[in-house]
Amino acid sequence: MSDDNHKKKMKAEALWIAGFLVVLAFTAGLNFYITSQKDFSIATKMTGSNSIPNGSIPIVVTGYQWAWSYTYYNSTGKQTFVDNLNITVNQSYTLVVTSIAGAQQFAVIHDLYIPQMGIQIYAVPGQNNTITFTPDKTGTFVIECVEYCGYEHYLMRGYLTVVA
Amino acid sequence: MSSTGLLITASIVLSFFFIFLFLLYYKYLSVKTEVDVAANNENYYDYSSYLIDKKKTSSAISLNSFIMNDSKSIGIRFLITSIVFFFIAGTFGVIMRVSLFYPHPTLFAGKEVLYDILTTEHAILMIYMWAIGSALGLAYYLLPRFLKLKSDKFGNFSSWSYWIWLLGGIFILLSRTSTRWYYYPPLALELTPYGAGSMNWLAVIGIEMIMIGVTISAIVLVRNIIYERSDSIPLSKMPLFAWSVLFTLIMFLASAPFLMTAMIMLFYDFVNPVFFTGSSSSPLFFAELFWTWGHPIVYIAILPQFGLIYEILPKFTGNKVYSYTSGVIALGLLLPLSELVWGHHLMESGFGIEWGLFFSTASLFVVIPSAITVFNYIGTMWTATKIRITIPMLFVINGIMDFVIGGITGVITAVLPLNEQTHGTYWVTGHFHFVFMGITVGIAFASIYMLWPSLTGGRVYNRRLAGWHFALTAVGSMIMSMGWTVGGFLGMPRYVSGYFARYQIYQDVAIIGGVIIGIGQLFFLANLLLSMSAAPQTETSNALEDAYKNLSMAGGE
Repeated sequence: MSDDNHKKKMKAEALWIAGFLVVLAFTAGLNFYITSQKDFSIATKMTGSNSIPNGSIPIVVTGYQWAWSYTYYNSTGKQTFVDNLNITVNQSYTLVVTSIAGAQQFAVIHDLYIPQMGIQIYAVPGQNNTITFTPDKTGTFVIECVEYCGYEHYLMRGYLTVVA
Repeated sequence: MSSTGLLITASIVLSFFFIFLFLLYYKYLSVKTEVDVAANNENYYDYSSYLIDKKKTSSAISLNSFIMNDSKSIGIRFLITSIVFFFIAGTFGVIMRVSLFYPHPTLFAGKEVLYDILTTEHAILMIYMWAIGSALGLAYYLLPRFLKLKSDKFGNFSSWSYWIWLLGGIFILLSRTSTRWYYYPPLALELTPYGAGSMNWLAVIGIEMIMIGVTISAIVLVRNIIYERSDSIPLSKMPLFAWSVLFTLIMFLASAPFLMTAMIMLFYDFVNPVFFTGSSSSPLFFAELFWTWGHPIVYIAILPQFGLIYEILPKFTGNKVYSYTSGVIALGLLLPLSELVWGHHLMESGFGIEWGLFFSTASLFVVIPSAITVFNYIGTMWTATKIRITIPMLFVINGIMDFVIGGITGVITAVLPLNEQTHGTYWVTGHFHFVFMGITVGIAFASIYMLWPSLTGGRVYNRRLAGWHFALTAVGSMIMSMGWTVGGFLGMPRYVSGYFARYQIYQDVAIIGGVIIGIGQLFFLANLLLSMSAAPQTETSNALEDAYKNLSMAGGE
């Protein structure tokens, strides 16, 4: 192998590294750009009263072994659902998620996940996490628990129904 | 059975186990004394060197390696044990995969907890017994020749470390724990079959023992690399594998205390829950301690194999590694970065955007050393005049490709908005199985195939069987991980024994892949048995250990 050849390949290597650094920088930039958007929301520990944006309906979500329970207030008063949740399209909702002990069980860590909405949030005992989202399509979607929480973890799932 | 009943049974089983161990140790001591006396009579420094001289088997697989304390014997012990655990944990993996064929539990209907036990054991045994065990085994086996060790002291420390590590692994097997390999506390403290398993405390002791064992080994190896290295080898000329082992072990020693402390506190919490479930604490404290260790362990499982690729590649391309310096720098860069990115396992736990962005960006930085390493491999192959395709080389090429796919899926999940979509799903499972199947498993087998004549005392492996082993492992892991990756992006949750019917197609694809991998490993066993039953045909030397000689086109397999 000649030195000339080696130099050429050195150039190619440098070009590869530069190229992928550009891609990486672009990814990082995109990361910062998207997370700075107003409608972007990620699981955040609730510290004050300002955690719930104006015009957003709070839904208190409690995970216990092994089901989800959802409580919210609307025109007909306080409503509680277990496993399945019904909400309205184009309305902003804020989930306030925590974990409590079931009948004779422990309060353990759960993780609420709605894949089609891109919503994921831990339910941690003794801590309220919030996340805001606005469903923009109607239909039936799935709700899952994706943090292992014991025997019937796999049954800790339900359906999210978005109506017009 | 009540949990008290279980505890009593466990104590009885454990007592018998210890009695058995004692008998074994007694037998070992009496044999050792005999050999010691014989060695003394012939003026040998210790019994190991006597046995090596007399029997000439120190570098081959044999039961002798379990009583001799030289580096190579310790390496063979670790290798044999890690392969045994690889097959145990692999069997667990195939069984639990098959049980997922239908959306509702069928194989384990009514006892779904079996699925959770198998998953947990599969993860813990594969990481602590196979990944760490095979890396330590190869390090112990290869380093004496790589570094031309001046002396091979501290063998009994290594021996102790091996036994403690093995006992820890057996404890984990016996404990039937069903929490996850990350032991999140309120669940890990729930000592019922419905929570973490009645004997989860035994698994905590097991992890602690494994960590103590590996720490002793790590100190001995770091000492060997730094102080016992031959004077003719300066640090700047040290083989890249020795560098990678050094970085791995420093990474281990820097991060292991986090887990060891956390596990002690967790064990205390069984008795008196103050550390992680008290009113002034949060279960997330444990998660943070755990992942400060839990992320470096992922690199500990692949860094030694990165070093091995640097050693294996030149044997089949016939040239030098493209850039030695950038190789060392890239491996070293992973050291500080590994300690900074633990938060990307907890991005949805309530950190908020600021911390999320910090960990997300730090995780993107990890791509830089990984990419430099991969470019280095490609450069080495590119500057070669001719590449000889052999079984170990196939494993290496497949490993690099799998690592690229696994790396890209990892970067995608490190991006904060996409992490919300992929965290906790099979996307992550697919991501690390790409890396582990390609690098940890593939490169370990590549090295074992290269060491074959030495390990089996001058026998050769059957190329056809080895080819099937490679093909089934590569194709199977690709099918399995692809099924998971695609399904995971659509929201298929991990760690479940039953799932929504809409994900069945992805699970079934993954099952096909998993079964193919399982069948592939049987070819390895058959190969081992066949070649051991034949007569020795060749010299016991091997190409991999000649770190300072590129065998180019001849030999090297």
